Amino acid sequence: MKSYLFKHTLITFFIAVLSFSFPSIAQENDLNNYKMQFSFNTVKQHDNSRLLEVSFIGKHKKNKRDILPVYDAEIKFFNRINEDEVLIGTSKTSKEGVAQLTFAADHSFLIENAGKINLIARFEGTEGMDAQEEELSVKDLNLELKLEEIDSVKTVQVFAFTKDSLGNKIPATETDVKISIGSMLSKMTLKEGTIEDGTFEFEFPKGFRGDVNGDIVVYSIIEDHEDFGNVTQMETINWGIPNKQSKEKANTLWSLAAPTWMYIVLTIMLVGVWANYVYTIFNLIKLKKEGDALDIEPL
Amino acid sequence: MDLNTRKRELVNEFSPMLRTSGPLLKIWISLLLVIILMGLTAFVLQFMKGHKITGMRDNVVWGIYIINFIFFVGLSYSGAFISGVLHFFKTPWKNSISRIVEIMTVLSLVVGPIFILLCIGRLDRLHYLFIYPRIQSPITWDIIAIMTDLIGCFIYLYLTFIPDLAILRDYSDEETPNWRKKLYKFLAIGYQDTPNQHKRLHKIISIMSTMIIAMAIVAYTVLAWIFSLTPQPGWNSTIFAPYFIIAGLYSGVAVIIISMYLIRKYFSLEKYIRKIHFVGAGIVLLVISLLFGYFTFTEYFSRWFSHNTGNDHLLETLFTKYFWEFILANYIGVLIPIFILFIKKLRTIKMITFAAVIAVLGLWLNRYLIVIPTLETPFLPIQDTRPEFIHYTATWIEWSLSFAGIAAFFLFFTLIIKFIPIIPMSGIIDGDKMQAKNIKKGKNIKLK
Repeated sequence: MKSYLFKHTLITFFIAVLSFSFPSIAQENDLNNYKMQFSFNTVKQHDNSRLLEVSFIGKHKKNKRDILPVYDAEIKFFNRINEDEVLIGTSKTSKEGVAQLTFAADHSFLIENAGKINLIARFEGTEGMDAQEEELSVKDLNLELKLEEIDSVKTVQVFAFTKDSLGNKIPATETDVKISIGSMLSKMTLKEGTIEDGTFEFEFPKGFRGDVNGDIVVYSIIEDHEDFGNVTQMETINWGIPNKQSKEKANTLWSLAAPTWMYIVLTIMLVGVWANYVYTIFNLIKLKKEGDALDIEPL
Repeated sequence: MDLNTRKRELVNEFSPMLRTSGPLLKIWISLLLVIILMGLTAFVLQFMKGHKITGMRDNVVWGIYIINFIFFVGLSYSGAFISGVLHFFKTPWKNSISRIVEIMTVLSLVVGPIFILLCIGRLDRLHYLFIYPRIQSPITWDIIAIMTDLIGCFIYLYLTFIPDLAILRDYSDEETPNWRKKLYKFLAIGYQDTPNQHKRLHKIISIMSTMIIAMAIVAYTVLAWIFSLTPQPGWNSTIFAPYFIIAGLYSGVAVIIISMYLIRKYFSLEKYIRKIHFVGAGIVLLVISLLFGYFTFTEYFSRWFSHNTGNDHLLETLFTKYFWEFILANYIGVLIPIFILFIKKLRTIKMITFAAVIAVLGLWLNRYLIVIPTLETPFLPIQDTRPEFIHYTATWIEWSLSFAGIAAFFLFFTLIIKFIPIIPMSGIIDGDKMQAKNIKKGKNIKLK
C-alpha cells in the first residue's frame, strides 16, 4: 500500500513538474534564439522640442524576418555631464517595442564644455533578460527654414547654427541636408545638398500639387549627423497647385436626370435601328407596288 | 427543270406537312394546350392572391421566372445572332436550319418577356414603367431593347417568309383552304420574284440581318448589366456581358440541334436535314462549350481568389447547399457535351442531340445558380426571420407557369410550321440556281 501511494505521488509530482516547467523552458529556449537589439536615437523636431526614442526588439538569429518587439520594458533616460548621471525621465516600451520621451523646446539639458549633450538610455534588465544601455552625444543645432520669393523665384533657404556659451551663433559647415515635401504616404525628397557657412539655398520647382488650398509642407532634414544627430524643420507655404477634390458623381438610379451622354448614345442607337425599320417598311411598300403593277394571275 | 415546275413540285412535297394533322400531332397539341391551361390557372391564382403563393419572398425576390426569362431571351438573342451570321454564308446547307433558327428567335422573344411580367408583384402598375420611365435604370433599357429587338425580329422573320408565301400563293392546289390562300396572298404583298424585287428584298434582308446581330449583342449585354451593375456577390462581374452572350449561344445552338432532331424525325426530312448539319452544329457547340467552360471557370476562380467575404459566403453556399446543382450545371453540363463532341466516333445524330439536351439542362441550372444562391446570401446577415424567407423553393404555381411558357413556345412553333414549310422553298430554289450556275461555269472552263 505504501509503495502504491509512493508510486502515484511520484508520478503526480513528475507530471506537475513537467506541466509547469515546459512552458518556461520553451520560453527560455525561444529567447535564446533571439538576439536583442537596443537602439537609441534623438531627433530635434520642427518645433525645437527634442524626442528621445528607444527601439527595443529581438531578432531571430536564423530567421531575420522573425522580429519580436519587447513590450512594457521600463527605459530610463539620463543626461550625463562628466561622471554624473541625472535621470531626466522614464518611459515604457509600446507593443512595437518603442519607448519615447519628448522634451519641450525650453527644456535645459546639461551641456558639456565642448557643447555636447550626453544622453543615456538604459534598461536595467530582468531575471530573464539582460540589461541594455546606449549612450549618444549631440550638439544642439538650430535649424531654420525660410521660404520666400526672391526676384519672383520661389526660394528655399536653410540656416543652421549652434550657439556657444555666450549665445553667439556659430554657423554649421559641411552638413548634409535634405529638402522634402509632405506627400500622401511619405516625404518626397526634392533636393539633397550640403550646408556651407550656415546656409543652403535652392529654387523650389514648379508644378507640385498641394492640398485643396494649394498649401505644401516643406521639410529640411539632417539625418544621422555625427555631431547633430537628427534635426528636422518644417514650414507650410502656399506654393502648390490647389488640389480640388473631385466632385462626387451625381448620377444614380434615383437622381433626377440621366447624364446627357446617355440620352445621346441611346437616341443615336434607337434612331438608327428604328430608321432602318422605316426604311424596310418603305421598301416593302415599294415591293407591293411593283407586284401590283405586274398584276400576274396565279398559275 | 422549269422553275415553275420545280416550285409546284416543292409545294406538292411540303403541302402534306402543312395540311395534314395526324393523331400524334393532335395529341401533341392537346397536351400543350392542357399545360398552357394549367399555367393560366396558376396565373389567375397568382394574380388574385399575389406572390405569397410563389416561393419568392423578401430576400429571394427573383425565382425561376427570371431564370426562364434569361434563358428564353438568351435563346432569342443567340438565334438572332446565328440567323444573321447564317445569312452571310453562301453554303446551301444553311437553308435547312435557317428557318428553325428564325422561328426560335421570334418565339423565344415572345415567350421570354412574359416571365418578367410574372415577376412583377403589382401587375396592375405595369403601365407605370411606360408613364414614368427612368432612363438611368437598366430595366428601362431592357424594356426598350426587348421591344425594339422583338419588332426587328418579327420584321426579319416576315422578310424571310415573303418568297415562300409568294410560292404558296401561286402554287397551292385546290385542296388548300381558301382562308390559307387569302392569308398567303395578303402576306406575300404582291411578291413575284422579279429580278428587281429579288434584289430589293435581299438588300433589306441583308441590312436587317447585320443589324439584328448587333442588336442581339447590345440587348443581351444590357440584360447582363441588370445583374453585373449591382454590387451583389455572384453578379458584380466585368465579364458578365460576354459570359451571357456565350451562354446564350451555347443554349441557342443546343436548342437548334434538338429542334432539328425532332423536326427531322417527325416530318421525315432526312433529305434536307442531314448528318452534316448535325456534325456542323455539333462542332459549333463544341467550340462554344469550351468558351462557356472557360468563362465559367474564370468567373468562379476569380471569386474564390478574391477572398471577399461576400464571395466566400456565396461559394460556401454553392459547395454545400447547391453542391449537386453546381456539379450538374458546371461540370456535367459542360464536360459531357465537350467529351461527346470532341470524339469523332461519338458524333452521331443521336449523341450530338444528347449532348445538346445535357447542354440545355446544364445551362438552365447554371442560370439558376446565378440568380438564387446570390439572393440567398445577401451582404447583411439575416436575423430573426423565418427560414422560408431566406431559402427559396419554387412552388407548383411557378413550375406550372414555367412549363406553360415552354408549352407555348412549342405550340407556336408547331403552328408556324403548319403554316409555312420549315425548310425554305425559296432557299432550295436559290440553291438549285446556284448549282446550275456552277455547273454552267464548270462547262465553260472545260470548253476553254
